Parts: sequence; structure tokens; C-alpha cells
Amino acid sequence: MKALLSRDMLIPFLTEIGKKLEVVAPVLANGERVFCTWTGQPLALDENPLNPPAEFLLPQRETLFRYVQESGRYTFEEERPISRLMFGIRPCDLRAVSVLDRIFGADPRDNHYLSRRRSTLVAAMNCPKPLEGCRCYQLGSGPEVKDDYDLLITEIEAGYLVEAGSPAGILMLSDHSEFFLDATNAQLKERDRLMREAEEQVKVRSDISLQKMHDIILAADWETLGRECLSCGGCTFVCPVCHCFNIIDLGIPDGERVRCRDTCILSGFSRMTSGANPRRTPGERMHNWYLDKFEYIPQKTGLPGCVGCGRCTRVCLAEIDRWKLEAVR
Amino acid sequence: MEKIHTTCVYCGCGCGLFLHVESGKVVGASPSSSHPLSQGRLCIKGWLGAEFVNHPDRLKTPLIRSGERLLKAEWDEVLSLITARFKEIKDRCGPDSIAILTSAKGTNEENYLLMKLARAGFGTNNVDHVARLCHAPTVAGLSYAFGSGAMTNPISSLAQADAILIVGSNTTEQHPLVAFHMLRGKARGAKIIAVDPRRTQIADLAELHLSPRLGTDIAWINCFLNVIIQEGLIDEEFISKRTTGFDEVREAVSKYTPEAAEKITGIPAHKLREAALAYGSADRAAIVYAMGITQHTTGTDNVQALANLALATGNVGMEGTGVYPLRGHQNVQGACDMGALPDLYSGYQRVAQAREKFEQAWSTPLPENPGLTALEMIDAAKEGRVKGLLVVGENPMMSYPDRNRVKQALETLEFLVVCDIFPTETTELADVVLPAASFAEKDGTFTSTERRIQLIRQALPPCGESRPEWVVVADLLSRFGVAADYRSPADVMEEIARVTPIYGGVSYDRLGTGGLQWPCPSKDHPGTGILHAEKFSVGLARFRPVEHKEPFEAPEEEFPLLLTTGRSLYHFHTGTMTRRTSLLDREVPGPYVEMNPEDAKKFGVRGGQKVVVESRRGQLYMDARLTLDVPKGTLFVPFHFSEACANVLTSQALDPKSKIPEFKVTAARVRRAD
Repeated sequence: MKALLSRDMLIPFLTEIGKKLEVVAPVLANGERVFCTWTGQPLALDENPLNPPAEFLLPQRETLFRYVQESGRYTFEEERPISRLMFGIRPCDLRAVSVLDRIFGADPRDNHYLSRRRSTLVAAMNCPKPLEGCRCYQLGSGPEVKDDYDLLITEIEAGYLVEAGSPAGILMLSDHSEFFLDATNAQLKERDRLMREAEEQVKVRSDISLQKMHDIILAADWETLGRECLSCGGCTFVCPVCHCFNIIDLGIPDGERVRCRDTCILSGFSRMTSGANPRRTPGERMHNWYLDKFEYIPQKTGLPGCVGCGRCTRVCLAEIDRWKLEAVR
Repeated sequence: MEKIHTTCVYCGCGCGLFLHVESGKVVGASPSSSHPLSQGRLCIKGWLGAEFVNHPDRLKTPLIRSGERLLKAEWDEVLSLITARFKEIKDRCGPDSIAILTSAKGTNEENYLLMKLARAGFGTNNVDHVARLCHAPTVAGLSYAFGSGAMTNPISSLAQADAILIVGSNTTEQHPLVAFHMLRGKARGAKIIAVDPRRTQIADLAELHLSPRLGTDIAWINCFLNVIIQEGLIDEEFISKRTTGFDEVREAVSKYTPEAAEKITGIPAHKLREAALAYGSADRAAIVYAMGITQHTTGTDNVQALANLALATGNVGMEGTGVYPLRGHQNVQGACDMGALPDLYSGYQRVAQAREKFEQAWSTPLPENPGLTALEMIDAAKEGRVKGLLVVGENPMMSYPDRNRVKQALETLEFLVVCDIFPTETTELADVVLPAASFAEKDGTFTSTERRIQLIRQALPPCGESRPEWVVVADLLSRFGVAADYRSPADVMEEIARVTPIYGGVSYDRLGTGGLQWPCPSKDHPGTGILHAEKFSVGLARFRPVEHKEPFEAPEEEFPLLLTTGRSLYHFHTGTMTRRTSLLDREVPGPYVEMNPEDAKKFGVRGGQKVVVESRRGQLYMDARLTLDVPKGTLFVPFHFSEACANVLTSQALDPKSKIPEFKVTAARVRRAD
């Protein structure tokens, strides 16, 4: 099902959706692009925000349940997830969600993740102008969205071309038909042309396919990279695929069990109780991060653990080029 | 989920970040890509910067001591009690029997109001804060030499330097975003010279690493200058046009030949010469320093020695040059700017000269007597001269030297009020505890180490019944009969701008997400990146000859080692916030001492073993970590851990000029724990 949303209908459409679901979108906050709840702020659809939208499915910090003690007995309270529409997420970030779906959906299933995921509709957005550092094409994650969306949006001359990719997406279009026009053949052709052009842009950039990265990882000087690493953890915190977490209990006798994000860049991540650490140096830990992205996750899920969004290079405090594995300064 | 732009609460870098807020809780943080300093990057503490805000340990109600216990109380009750007790002490013993320790963690507005409370409310100049323990020598030393005690250039200027001399700064761990800009400079070809007894990460990445014996900095700095003079690398034109007093310095450094300096510092003469030439021959050279320079009995002279070096080579007032004191707390610069110091009002206006101006501005008579510095307050409390103390957002029981003495002093007080966000070792001794709102729960401004005045924005309502300090202090001001009709921190900033020339053009609507660098004297002034470009604030910059002096304590038979204190990347200061951040506490979960394997062998210690570290003042139990990064004869202990508080060991020996204690040199010994 394909339809056209004219430019001036975008805000009314989102406003209407916002009456039923929380709409999450890239907006301008204090002049910067961020994903957050849209309540009428100016949208920022031109460029992907630095922090990925994965936190709406796997929050940086979430309360799994609250425990309350009364007369020696504990009761447990859980919150229901918020129903959301994630609007305007890019192909790379959507692919990351597909990887997370496979990881958290495999046994043992992670019900906290899955219930959030089930409460979330995705309106993805094709990426006509991939940024300089993007390598989505090389890893098969973009610049065009192929699957796992409810709605898919492509910005064209006349407005936004909207395609439904799931029963929920079809319902969203048919329930709000007053906002949409029929898409013409010319508009569909324009969409295909734009995506071919975007693809040409990324295609010519350096190759970071799994095979190529395998060679780069083998050749990298991990000791030197480890000496340069400032252990900020930024690469793992902006990676839309990174999903490691730690669980802590806060509060006695009443309190909450909290799951918060973790990072394998810290030595405490792999350190044993005895103090022994199989990944003792920052270089070994960075090496492991790469093996996870380019070897282990592909083996487990069939998809690369890197979606080519380039965010890890953008936030690296040591300014290491994360594709070439050398300092860019 | 909402995202609110604010300023990081940890170190003096002043990075921009977003707090992620959902259902009334901070659920995350992420960097701000438009921020002029941090440019979309953060260190590990910044990435995890929000975790402590909703920690269940937060102080949520005011508490009043009843015997051994602290009992919940109402705000009005505690504020009335505080007013009555302080008034009673003041009437009985005079205003100088009361003192305030303000907070380098608080906002500018809060520090301004606290110093106003001390002076206009209590009638005393007894106001000071933790800068006394970190950069008092900088404020004293650089004010004398240049006329301003602040960083001369923006941090990003380091990327334009051709040589960077880093002294006593573990930059990659303590100011990671400063290291970021240094390493950009390095990539451009800048030579990095690190001088630190320990082989830190920045020393490891540096082209040259010099490891001096503890407390011998003047000897090698004078030696650098001597070599530079001998090689004809001084900037004669700069010296003659813009400075005064060089001849005395030339004379004084002449005896510090590399060979003589080697005898004092232990650094090989050829390395001294090589490093001096690297700094002296660079087109644009910068000096970066931190606690390794200041926390000595010669702190102020150390700073002057570095200033001499920069002046003699003309490395001040231009992009890529300058002197960069790295300030530890996110607002320790601001607390100094706001006059939370016993001899200065806001904007470094001397009490002796600006008193009348402030009497007019505040419509009240102000005290003339010079106030006490932080450590002098502790002494005075011990001797019964100070009887009432208000401590805001500070933890002297952990951060001040010689903990047992501090404890005795605080216990001797008649009335101790402590305001904080968490229970601390200091709140345990308080008569009244006030719960404060955290940085995420109030508006205000912080001033970073590069003089950048930046907004923090309220993301949440205050936790429990806690209140922002500015609200509490404004309330106390009116109870002490001083008009304090502020509706918001922006109102306070308006008053600050009126009475503080360097902040004259600052107002909230101008600060945005990148802030303004002072001096910013008028509403249309864009702020100042590089100081002293055309003219020094003192007119001609001042040289002053300085001589090497041995530290207060030397190794001797009973205490054959020298202990130095410092910090870890993963913790901040006394750990009040970072030890309540799960990943940071897991990363470095407890106290440790770093020692050289040769010393370990000599004293029968193995890595990972529990050891006892002792000084003349006390002893501590901790884990031994063996590392070649610490030179022979030296022990390193971080001071974050209440279970082994490093400041049990340190001494209260003070620099006579700035009254900073010598945290960096303590005679000590180590043995295996039984």
C-alpha cells in the first residue's frame, strides 16, 4: 500500500497519531538533533541524530520491577511499556533493531525487551543523503530500507511517499486516509531514482564488508590502539547494536531492580571475582568489541553486528578511525 | 522522553550534555555535538553522569541532631534554628566566630549568595571553599604574574600549539576532554613533554617523559629557563616591552644548570636539556598544569616558576600559547569568580578596595577584618575561635588533609550545618543537615576551567523535600535582614553582572548552549577567548625569582618512602557521586596503593595483598598494586575511598603564600597486613 503525504499534512498526521500513541521522532532540542518524544517541536529529518533511537527499546536505564516489603512478604510491581510510534528512524538504526530482535528474541527470550518492542510501531525513513562517515551499503543495512517496518517514508519533491509494510502499517494508512493522496507512478519512479543515487554515493566509499573487516581486524595493532584509547566507552554507548547491560538492586528493604547499560570497554565488565581478567588491557577489550560486531553477532544472528552508521568514529575521544583502525588525527 | 541540554557536573572541562528524562526520572545522558569544547564527546563519567541523581541514598528531608541520631524536621523549623543559633553565637562571640565553606559543586549564583550571606548576613569575611586545596596557588601566583588567576586561553587553543608542557596533570584521566585537544595538537605535530613522577597515560603518549623526585619542581623549571637563556631562545622583545623584573630571574636561575638540577630532581641532565629545548624552541608553546604543581608547600612559587618560563619565551597572549591551570571541579572557577574567598569579592575585587562599593550595592555595612582560609577555619574551630560553621556541598572529612585533626575540629564546633545531596562523612558530624537539589534539579550557571560561563537547566523537580541551595541561602539572607528578593537564579545573575565587571555582560538569554567566556564586560561584548593579548591586566607582567625548597617531609629511617595522592579516571573526589554509579564503582571498587615492584620486594609485599600504609598521622589498610608506572621510593594512593581515606595520612603543612596544604608529599612506610 503506497500513498502520498503532502508536506503540510505531516504535522497534522503526527498530531493525530500522537493522540493515541507517544510519537518519538528526531527533533531539534536547544538547536541540536535528538530523538525524543515529539510534542510539537520542530522536526529534524535532514540528518540522523548522534544518539541512536535504540534507547526506546532498550533504555539506558530501566526499572525491571519495584519490590515492596510488607509484614515480611515481598510484592513486586511492574510497569507496562508505553505504546509508541518511532517516526523517522533511518535504515541503519532500523537494521540495528532487527539485530536486537534476533538477539533478545532467541532463547532465553528477554520479555522486557520484547514487550517494549511489541508496543512500538516503526515509521522508518529512507536515507537520501548518507553522511560522510556512513557505510550502510557495505554492510547491507541501507541507504534504502528493505524490511521490518510498519511504515516507510521517502521524502520526494511533492512531499512524503509512504508505504505500509505490515498489517499495523496498512491500518495506520487506512484509518487516516483523510491525510493521504494516491501516489502516482512518477512519484514511485522518483523514489527509486533517489534511492539509486543515494546508493551510488555510499557505494564508492571504502569497503568495510565482513570479509574486509576480518582482514583489518587481523592486521590491526591492538596494543597501540589500546594505548591511545581513553576508555570513555563512547563507541559502545552510541552503537545502535550494543546491548550489554548490568542489573543492580537499589534500595533496602523497598526499592527497584534496575537494568542499566554496560560497556565491554571497562575492565570491570570481564573481570572475575578473583581479580583475574581474560581481557586485561584496553587493546584486548577493543579487539573483543570488533570480534563481537564482525564475527560473533553475524554467527549468532545471520546479520552483521555493525550497521555502518559511523557513530563510533564520531564520538571516539581518542579520535580513532573505527573503520581503518588507526588514529585519524 | 525529554532531552534537556545542560553542563556536566564532574570536572572543570565543562562539557555539554543532554539529560534524558522520563516519568520524572533521569534515565540517561548523551553528548552535545554543538558544544564548543566537547564536540559530541564525553568521558566515561559524563556518559554515566546521570546515574546518581535518583539514587535512593539521596537526602530528602532536613535533619536535626538529637543526641546520637539525626531526626527529620520541617524546613521552617531548621531555618529558624540555624538563624537563632548563628545569631546567638554572633552576639556572644562576634561575627568572626562564624564561617562558611561554600561549594565548588554549587552554581555561581549559589556561591555568590553564600559569600553575600557571610559578609552581609553574618558580618564576617570567613568564607572559603575547596579551591584552597587545589588552585589557591594559581589564583595567588598567576594574579601576581599576569593580573588574572585564570586559564589564559581556551582549551581548544592547545590543538594549535607546537609544544605542550604538561606538569603534574594526569590529563587523560582527570580532564579527558583537555587531553582530547592536546592529542589533536600532537597529531598536528606538537611535541608533548610530560613531567610527572608517575608514568600516566599522557606521559606514555608523550614524546618526552620526565619523572622528578616529589616536590622538586622549581629546580627543573628554573633549569629549563636557564638552558633557554643559555641557548638564546628567550623572546627579548616580549620581555622588554611587556614584562618587568626579568634580570633578577635571569640571575636566580643561573645556578640551576642541568647537572645541578639533576642532583635535586633525579632527572638526567641530558633529558632536562632536551625537554627545555623542545619547549624553548617551539614557535608556540603551552604549559598545562594541575595539582602536581599546586599541592605543595611551594605551590605559589611553583606557579610563578611556570609563569616565568612562559613570559621569558613570550608564550602568552596568542593562539597555541598560554598557561593552562586545570581546575578540578566543574565550578571551582566560578566559586572563585564569585568571591567565595576570604579576601576577595566577586570578580577578584579586593575586600580592602571594593568594600564601599559592595556596601552601597547591598545597602549594608560590611566587615573589614580579613577572613580565614579553609584550613585556618579548621585550626580556629579546634582552638574554639570559630564556633559555628556552615558547610555547603563539601566533604572536608574526606578531602582535607590530616583527617583526625579535621574530625577533632568539627567535633569541637558548637554548631555545624551541612548542606549536601547525599549523606557524607561530614554530615555525620552535623547538628543540622540540609538536603540540596542536584544539578539536574535546578537552574543556574557553572564556569568551566576555560572561563566559560554555561547554563545548567532544570530537568526534574527537586528530590523529596530537597531545595536548590540558592533558595535556601536567599531565605537565610532575609532572615538575617538582607534583602533577597530573587525569583530565579537569572535574577541573581543580574545582580552579579551589576557588581562584577568581568561578568558585566552576562545574562541568561545570552548563554545558549555554548556559554560565554569572561571577561565579558558589557551586553554587546562577545566574551574573551585569549587573555593578555594586547596588554596584561596588571599592565606589565611580573617576573619573580623563585628558589627550590625541600618539601615539608622527607623520607627518613622510620618512614623511608614518599606518598603522593591523586585520583582515578573512574571516581570523582570523595566518591559521593561516582561510588553511587554502578559501573564506576565496579570499575574501581576499593582503595589501593600503587608501588614499584622493587619497593614491594624490599618490604615483602606481593601484588594484590592487603597492606598497611602508615605516616606520622595514621594508618590505612588497602590492596597493593605493583606497577612500573610509579618510581622507586614512591607510593600513590587515590583519595576517593572512605574505607581508607588517604587524608588520614597527609599533613597540614601549608604553603605560606596561598595556604594550600601539601597533599603531594608525605613520608610513609608500607608493610604486609597481618
